[in-house]
Amino acid sequence: MTTTRPLASAGPAPAAGLELQLRLYVAGNAPNSERAIANAKAICDEHFASRFDLEVVDLLEHPTRALADGIIVTPTLLKLMPLPVQRVIGNLSDTDQVLLALGRR
Amino acid sequence: MTSRTAVRSPDDLAQRLAEAEATIQALMSGQIDAVVDSTSRTPVLLAKAQEALRESEERYRQIVEVTTDGIITIDRGARIVFANRRFAEMLGYEPGELISTSVFDLMLPAERTVAAEAFRAHGWGIHDAVDGILRHKNGTEILVHIAGTPLVDAHGRPVGHLGIVRDVTERKKLQAQLMVSDRMASVGTLAAGVAHEINNPLAAVIANIEYVLESLVRPPDGGTVAAGVLALDPDVRDEIKAPLDDALEAAQRVRFIVRDLKIFSRAPLEEAKGPVDVEAIMESSLRMAWNEIRHRAHVVKRFARVQAVEASEARLGQVFLNLLVNAAQALPEGRSSENEIGVTIRPDGECVVVEVSDTGSGILPENLGRVFDAFFTTKAVGVGTGLGLAICHRIVTDMGGTLTVESRAGAGTTFRLMLPIAGDLECPVVGPVPPAASSGRRGRVLVVDDEQLVRQTVTRVLAKEHDVVAVSTVSEALALCGDGARFDLILCDLMMPDKTGMDLHRELVRSSPAQANRMVFLTGGVFTDRARRFLAETPTEQVEKPFDAVNLRAIVRRYVH
Repeated sequence: MTTTRPLASAGPAPAAGLELQLRLYVAGNAPNSERAIANAKAICDEHFASRFDLEVVDLLEHPTRALADGIIVTPTLLKLMPLPVQRVIGNLSDTDQVLLALGRR
Repeated sequence: MTSRTAVRSPDDLAQRLAEAEATIQALMSGQIDAVVDSTSRTPVLLAKAQEALRESEERYRQIVEVTTDGIITIDRGARIVFANRRFAEMLGYEPGELISTSVFDLMLPAERTVAAEAFRAHGWGIHDAVDGILRHKNGTEILVHIAGTPLVDAHGRPVGHLGIVRDVTERKKLQAQLMVSDRMASVGTLAAGVAHEINNPLAAVIANIEYVLESLVRPPDGGTVAAGVLALDPDVRDEIKAPLDDALEAAQRVRFIVRDLKIFSRAPLEEAKGPVDVEAIMESSLRMAWNEIRHRAHVVKRFARVQAVEASEARLGQVFLNLLVNAAQALPEGRSSENEIGVTIRPDGECVVVEVSDTGSGILPENLGRVFDAFFTTKAVGVGTGLGLAICHRIVTDMGGTLTVESRAGAGTTFRLMLPIAGDLECPVVGPVPPAASSGRRGRVLVVDDEQLVRQTVTRVLAKEHDVVAVSTVSEALALCGDGARFDLILCDLMMPDKTGMDLHRELVRSSPAQANRMVFLTGGVFTDRARRFLAETPTEQVEKPFDAVNLRAIVRRYVH
């Protein structure tokens, strides 16, 4: 996994018109992390079309970033924009809970 | 909200608590891959930690599963949380079947209450070890040794107990068998000693009564003792003869009892196998068991002529006695004419078959398969140990034979022994020594015995026909021979406190071999290892005490030519 992974489907660079900015902290290719990436991508694609930016950060490679963001476990999904900041912990298999955190429910 | 922002409002606090709750739930549901160590502030992969934990667990599980002891853990309510395979096998279960079972349900009802009460009162202490009985799935009892240890959680709070359970059924059986063997060996040694002590005076009683009886009926020959008796009126003589006959018969019975005792009390070294007369041993056993039998049953003997079997007299006697006593105990006391104990001896191909049957109530079918199991008994506590038939079975198997049982409820029980015959040998026939023709010459007989009674009796029995010199020590005998005295026969006690008959024999072999060849040993039945070797290696004749007058005279005549 790369350090930072702007997803191809994330569309244009962060700019006006962007509806959602997310950062997903994972731990290498551990099972729950892989699942969280897939789940996040699927949810965003379905509910936010191309108006989102999902950055995937590997905790093992960037521990200081994780500490700065107050991450204590992975996977953790941070919703950075729009405010307020929200975090979802776990492999994101509970879609309703994720959408609630992202302000869509 | 970012991680570094301080808590500023109740809403903020609520959100943090919600996140903490979500973190815990994700951890609980296994959705977490890594955590950040709060001290080192470095990430730790849970998967690796879990793998290490799994490996460690696997190692311990292997240890727990390959051990020969049963291992269980129970919770505070005494329910089984974990049971290894060995524990489950011990009791006939699959490990999974035992989970959540209360350990008390695996105990016998009688022990359950006491154990539960003790557990409630103070649990099991550290390293408490107890012997107990657990119940196998099939209902049999398993004797176990249990070592228990309390288990605590990370905070030192008690969570249950660990138990290490060892099946000691076999060990206990062996111990019990050893104890019985030991006890029988000590009783045997004691009995052999008593038999020896009885034999000397008994020899005197029998020989003296016979001497008087012979004097009564013998034609007058001017004998000193008999002269007064023979002068009696024939009626008076008969009146005296009758009680003497009774006394002799009674003494002969004592002689049989002593001989029987000796059969049953042979020390292990004397248990050498050899051709054994089954009928003679059965007769001995019947006499020994008579007191048990006579109030309960009459005995029907069906003895066919059989060849000798290869066995130890003592052990075969023990088996017969056990079967006879068992048969008697299967019958109610009283009405002995209605109850029957059948004893059959018959040939069957290369075997001798011995059957002991009773007309009792029979053995229940469910018990029939277990009668030869150690500790299995249906007798009241204190009457039977449940070891008798188990030991019999072992003895018979060791002899190369078989012991089986047949029983029908209400129709009685038959125990059947099949014993292999001892080659082509006929049973040694023990009968009276054929009388040797008297040469008419007065012989010279030396009697060496430390027992005055024996010396006097032998002298009295032989004095009419021979010149008898009696001495009490080997030294005196050697002095006589050294002075040139020559004897037709030297009757010598084998075991004496100072120098023994063996010492005399050795000296004579050196100084006058012809006299050594004329030694006959009187034996009381108890032998030291040395005596046993001596008798095996030296071709000398032995006369077992108590001897009777007729046989003794016959032996002497053979040496007086």
